[in-house]
Amino acid sequence: MVQDMNTSGEPGPAPTPDELDDWARRAQAGDTAALEDLLGALRPRVLNICRGVLPHSGDAEDACQEALLNVATKIGSWHGNGRFTTWLHAVAVNSARSTYRRLKNQATPVDTDEHGWDRPDPRTTSVIAGTRLDLLDAMEAIEQDHPQFVEQLLLRDVYGLPYDEIARLVGAPLGTVKAQIHHGRKLARPLLRGDR
Amino acid sequence: MTAPGVAGLALAVLATTTVVGCSSEAGPALLPDAEVVESGVPVSDRREPDLELALSEPRKDSVYPQVGDPGVDALHYALDLTWQPGRRLLKGRSRMVFRATRPAPRFQLDLARPLEVTRARLDGRPVRTTRRGKNLVVHAPVTADQRLTLTVAYAGRARPVPAPTTRSDFSTTGFTVTRTGEVWTMQEPFGAYTWYPVNDQPSDKALYDVTVHAPARWTGISNGRLVEHEPGRRRTTTRWQLDEPASSYLMTLAIGDYGWSSGRTKSGLRIDYWVPRGKPTAKKKVRAAARAMDWAEARLGPYPFSSLGLVVTESDSAMETQTMVTLGDTGYVLSPAVILHELVHQWYGDQVSPDDWRDVWLNEGMTMLMQWLYEADTGGVPIKATVRRARQLDQLLRDEHGPPGDYDAGEFGETNIYWSPALMWNELRLELGDKRFFEIARSWLAAHDNQSVNRDDIVAHWEAETGRELYAFFDAWIMGRRTPARGVPSS
Repeated sequence: MVQDMNTSGEPGPAPTPDELDDWARRAQAGDTAALEDLLGALRPRVLNICRGVLPHSGDAEDACQEALLNVATKIGSWHGNGRFTTWLHAVAVNSARSTYRRLKNQATPVDTDEHGWDRPDPRTTSVIAGTRLDLLDAMEAIEQDHPQFVEQLLLRDVYGLPYDEIARLVGAPLGTVKAQIHHGRKLARPLLRGDR
Repeated sequence: MTAPGVAGLALAVLATTTVVGCSSEAGPALLPDAEVVESGVPVSDRREPDLELALSEPRKDSVYPQVGDPGVDALHYALDLTWQPGRRLLKGRSRMVFRATRPAPRFQLDLARPLEVTRARLDGRPVRTTRRGKNLVVHAPVTADQRLTLTVAYAGRARPVPAPTTRSDFSTTGFTVTRTGEVWTMQEPFGAYTWYPVNDQPSDKALYDVTVHAPARWTGISNGRLVEHEPGRRRTTTRWQLDEPASSYLMTLAIGDYGWSSGRTKSGLRIDYWVPRGKPTAKKKVRAAARAMDWAEARLGPYPFSSLGLVVTESDSAMETQTMVTLGDTGYVLSPAVILHELVHQWYGDQVSPDDWRDVWLNEGMTMLMQWLYEADTGGVPIKATVRRARQLDQLLRDEHGPPGDYDAGEFGETNIYWSPALMWNELRLELGDKRFFEIARSWLAAHDNQSVNRDDIVAHWEAETGRELYAFFDAWIMGRRTPARGVPSS
């Protein structure tokens, strides 16, 4: 029998954020062994983030793969002033979003809602219909007219990062970030299913 | 629903550095596809089973003594199963040829309660049976080495039984019905008795003929070669023959709307892929088996059986059912590394099996090491890094679940039976070098083909082959409460 999946991705005690920062700095400097260690250690964390966005495990794994490739190729764009894990969250959430978009584009449209977005057909898409789907669709809609709110809203409501981490990540004062998220939520609310 | 673009990117990145893929799929996905045929399931001829292959020395299990009867040595099971998904009803007829191993006034098989016995005959004559829990007691005196035939007709709403485990990917074993009436089974360490009367302990290997009557358009799948395939307007009948003996936990049954395709190994073996229709991603992913088999055969020698297939089900786990691997439908389970794992089990686990559940590490340790090596060879984590991390975790596993050869009966299949013995085998691999290590790994299989074995057998084999005293080394890894030091002590 295959070993239990819940332990397979965690071959050792999880590294601390300090260790991850250190590996990431060395990886940036061209240390390929450090990059390997880093990517190996990040997998469970990244997969978790992707699962938060894409409930179907196959989709989350696709997104995770994409996220790790993005980490490997774009690690130079981490500035090193914030936590590496904060930068990583943004990369992972964006990868999950782009995986979601791709899945949606590949799916057979069955109906078109009032915003003109084709909903994926659950019979042909592995993405399971759920609240996250609504939220992601709402993000896409908001991005049309108010792209400045999307990143913050995603980090807060899809992944659940604390406000101060988000402020550090997007490089804006805490008060501004809170206001942006508040605005973003107001925009998103009517787009969510159930119109709660 | 996988993205070709990502695979292309993976290729570009892999060329410059090693990237850890989420399902290790980057490696084999880049290799050329095996031949895929879309129609015309090949049907082969049924052969007369050679019962002598199935002679065993059954024993009482030390971990799960409640299952099995050491007085019974089953040689051949012929099962005829009819599945009615609408009524959730399984009707079965079983004909078991067996050898009594000792004189006794009665003997017993395992058969779960929901299945009612409607008729039982011993050598053609009616025989009295009683039920005690899951025990089907047959009241007939037998003598040592007497060969008899027991036929049982039974029916009921078959369902799984609780599994003795704390794992996250399964909590029951045996006959499992999906919401839409399809059937799948996984039954390690026991649970075959949820769908047929069986001596459900691994030391009793037996041959099988399994006939399945499925609803029209559906297909019943089991172990071995397909020897009869009759799609009909009302029902589809398939008949399978397993011509080398298997422990009951290595049997499989899957019934659903299956499509067939196939691939081929470099050595010329056809691999049958049975995937539910309408699952293109799963259908694509299982094809990794062909290249994984090439890798395994290069190290373990020619595949030991006459046929090979993979069947995809709704499970969350994966099981090395003999000649017909049973896979769940998750990204993890359908990754090339997990497929390779179940294929390696065809040698380590199926061709040679443990005779007692305390030695399940015999299956998982070598297989886990092979999986690590395969992952390293196909662009995953280098073996040194994997071993380093596993070694860091070994003590935690021993503290949590016990030593791999002395685990808690309620914690079957935890990671201690995988990683700790894999680390042990890796020490021998480093000590002897890959070439010698795999020579001995192969000679072990050849020496115990189709047998059930235990820890004493394997220590004796490695001591004889290496000329070294290895008992203390094996004992420290398998029974020790602490992670042993690195290296293989010279005696």
